[in-house]
Formats: sequence, structure tokens, C-alpha cells
Amino acid sequence: MAQQICLWRMAARRALKAVLVDLSGTLHVEDSAVPGAQEALKRLRGAPVTVRFVTNTTKECKRDLLERLTKLGFDIAENEIFTSLTAARNLLEQKQVRPLLLVDDKALPDFTGIATHDPNAVVVGLAPEHFNYEMMNKAFRLILDGAPLIAIHKARYFKKKNGLALGPGPFVTGLEYATGTEATVVGKPEKTFFLEALRGTDCAPEEAVMIGDDCRDDVGGAQNAGMRGILVRTGKYRPADEDKINPAPYLTCENFPEAVEHILEHLLGERE
Amino acid sequence: CAQLLICVKLTPLLLLYNRIKASSLKLRFCTNETQATREKFVKKLQGLGFDISVDEVTAPAPAACRVLKERNLRPHLLVHNDVVPEFAEIDKANPNCVVIGDAADNFSYANLNEAFRILIGLENPVLISLGRGRYYKETDGLKLDVGAYMKALEYACDIQAEVVGKPAKMFFESALAELGVQPQQAIMIGDDIVNDVGGAQQCGMRALQVRTGKYRSFPVGGTDLPSVYTSICCLNKHLLVQQLGSNQVVDDIFICKKHFGKTLCM
Repeated sequence: MAQQICLWRMAARRALKAVLVDLSGTLHVEDSAVPGAQEALKRLRGAPVTVRFVTNTTKECKRDLLERLTKLGFDIAENEIFTSLTAARNLLEQKQVRPLLLVDDKALPDFTGIATHDPNAVVVGLAPEHFNYEMMNKAFRLILDGAPLIAIHKARYFKKKNGLALGPGPFVTGLEYATGTEATVVGKPEKTFFLEALRGTDCAPEEAVMIGDDCRDDVGGAQNAGMRGILVRTGKYRPADEDKINPAPYLTCENFPEAVEHILEHLLGERE
Repeated sequence: CAQLLICVKLTPLLLLYNRIKASSLKLRFCTNETQATREKFVKKLQGLGFDISVDEVTAPAPAACRVLKERNLRPHLLVHNDVVPEFAEIDKANPNCVVIGDAADNFSYANLNEAFRILIGLENPVLISLGRGRYYKETDGLKLDVGAYMKALEYACDIQAEVVGKPAKMFFESALAELGVQPQQAIMIGDDIVNDVGGAQQCGMRALQVRTGKYRSFPVGGTDLPSVYTSICCLNKHLLVQQLGSNQVVDDIFICKKHFGKTLCM
């Protein structure tokens, strides 16, 4: 299978120091691991790189993600996981604000320790149970009075067993319109998501690569932040996805194991 | 002589109203009220002392019905329960469009999702929005208006809604047509800078903004407001007499100013 290698790869000649790996669609698809992924991860860990697992989620706290991945045979530590919820939490701490949390109850553990009394910020995730008129008005009034609006991500909709369902994006858009403000979006494909994920790894974006199945959100977002992006043909990948972003993905390959092979063979820099 | 359009969604200017009624000025109510039928709305105003009838009201729901009939559209309604009777004559089976109004508590996730699923399943999705207001004032505080939810569905489906009601040009034009007057002969009075004042001015009418109801002393930001909104007509008494052609009415506007302790903004 031909590999497409983007021209500017030749230019950025820094050895790889960090690998970001998307979860759903890349390491696993629903409740099954991508074949060979566990082995590939083991091999990647043998290399001198920092590994981080990144995902947009609004209702799975790190603990739950960790449990699921461990059950599937992946060797992962909780502090290696960086989610859009983590990104939101970091932002709240930076801004020193107290949020009204419109997030799923299952996401609350990731906000432990953050004060929520007398809120002066609004965080919106995928939380259908909170998207009722009363709660939306509560959020609206806070934002109109100056509270920052933080969106975990702005997905338009997602797929459920019985059809499509509205994501948080539409509700964030409605609040933006009503208040004349703009939300800060913390999840993929925002640049800040990827930069935040690298914080603490001591790696610059140019020294990192992102592996994911979502061309726009994973690869496009990462490359926009200065990283290299590897698109895998699993999960939500559809033929010709790689043509949809500019610049094209640094590499498009079959799956996570192949991506790891490429990294080990080509991106680790000079060997002593 | 001048004609007058009054928006009375919120504060009744009763004195002014009665004097205008007694004068030679024609009156029409342009409201985006979609939480009630015109009958109910008119009854409410009558209860407040206004001598008003249903035929003096231009409202979005009946205007939408005309559009639906013209284009053979069968709507799924996401509106307030109390305005549903306005759509009694419309075929709603097997919907091929969505009509969204100021649904208040009907803006539940489930209801929005239902409207979304209908739109996303259509080859040519049509979303008709009864107005596009950002928010309005109730006794218990400010509340999200239909515009916020219209934007939500637009974003979800990647479509553009068609607005029936203020500030759509067609809405004001139909009110003017009912009165048989030209835009230059009319003045719109309202509290909403975008929907009342802006919309009317874009039609060639002049407009007065009253500092009641939704009025906020600083503009709500956003890229929606075009520069035309910076030129609200001057309410110099002398000029107003010229514009309205009636000393009597002008006196009343200024009496109202004193009586209600509010300023008719210029």
C-alpha cells in the first residue's frame, strides 16, 4: 500500500520525542481493540518517546477510560491520558473561575476540587439532561453578565443506536448568538488542545506526532498546532478523507500498528 | 399625514395609544409574539386597557401559515402550545419542514432533537423561524428567545433558516400593505434595537426606541448589527411634529415620557 509522505516532512528535521494517540477509532473501535494494537503500543514504549493518549469526550472521566483500555489489554497509566475534559479543567484553573457545569454526571470526577458555588463561568459538554430551557437560561444569564463560556467541543451531532442526536455544538452556538460572545473551545481540533496535551512532556509540537482516524479533528488539528499527523484507515475513516485537509496528512496508513512501524523506522532520528 | 406602527410587545403606552386612536393616524401592531394566538394576545392587551382588535395585529404565525400554504409545506411545529391553534388549518402530516417559534419550556432536548432529526432526514431541509430574537424580558428575568434555538438548528444541520416576523423586511411590508401606506409615512416604536428599530429602518421607515423592556444601555455585541442601527431618528420635538404632522401626538409622546418616568430614546 503506497504511503503518502508530505513534502514538508523533509524540512522539519527534528527527532521525535512525543507521540499522541487518539483512542476511539484508533486504538479500539467500540469494545474491540484494533488487531495488533496492544503489541504495537508495547513496541512504541521501547522507543525513547513520551506517549500520550488524547480524546474528545464529554462524559467519560479518565478513570473510566483507563478501565476500558486496561480491559482491552492496553498498558496505560492514568496520567498519560489527556481529554477535552482535562483541557477544560486546566482552563478553569488558569482563569481561576467557578463553573456552572453543564456536563454529564459521569464527567464530574474530572472536576473534583474545582469550586462550583456562585458560578462565574459556564462549561458546556454533551449533557442532554442539562439542555432544558431552565438550565439554558441560567447559563445564558451568567454569560450575559460576563461569565466566560467554555465549550468542551462543538460537535454538531453524534450517532446513537437509534439515530443521530444533537451534540453540544448547537447549544453552544445558541448561547453565543444570544449573548453576542464567543465560546472558548478546548477540545480537538483546537490548537490549544494539542499544546495543552504536550505541556508537561517537555516536547515542542515539532517534536511530536499525532496518530488518529479523524482527518480533520485529529490530523488537521495536530498539524495546525505544528505537529506531524498520521491518519489511520480505521474507525470513522472514509476513503479520500486525506484529501480533505490542507496540508495533507504527513502520512496515511492502514492502522495504528503500521503507524508505529513507520515511527520506529523513520522518525526517531540518528542512532548512536 | 403620517401613519404609525406601534410595537407593544412589552410596555403599554396607554395614553399615547388612546390619543393616537382618536387622531387621524393609522395604527398597526407588529409583534413577534408567538407564545399565544392573536386572540389571546389581544385579550391580554384589552385587559390592560387597550381598545384593540385582532385585525390590527400583524403576527408571525399567520404570516408563516401563508408561506406554508404557498409552498405546499407541511410543518413539524416546535412552538409554544398556546400558539398551535394558529396552525389549525395547516396539514401537518408527514412533515417536510420545521417551524420554530418562541417555545419556552417546549425547548427541551427531546423536542429539539426531534426537530433536528426531521430536518437532517430531508433532502431539502426548510427551517422557518418565527422571529430571530436573542432574548426577551419576563417578570422573572431575561429568557432565551427563538433566535438562539434557530441558530442551534442552523448549526446542527448546516442550513439557514427563513425568518418570518421582525426583523424580516417582508413582515413590515405586509403590515404596511394592510394599512395602505408607504414606509416613509410610517414610524415604528419598539424596545428591541435589532428587531424593531433595525428591521423597520431597513424597510425605509423611521423608528423610535423606547428604553423599556429589553432595552439595555449598552449594545449587545456580535456581528449581527449592521451600521444602519446607529442612526435612530432624532426626537427633537420640532422635528417630530414635522415628521408626524401632528402637534397633539407629539405632546402625548412627551407626556408619556413624564408619566412613565422613562425616556423615549433618540
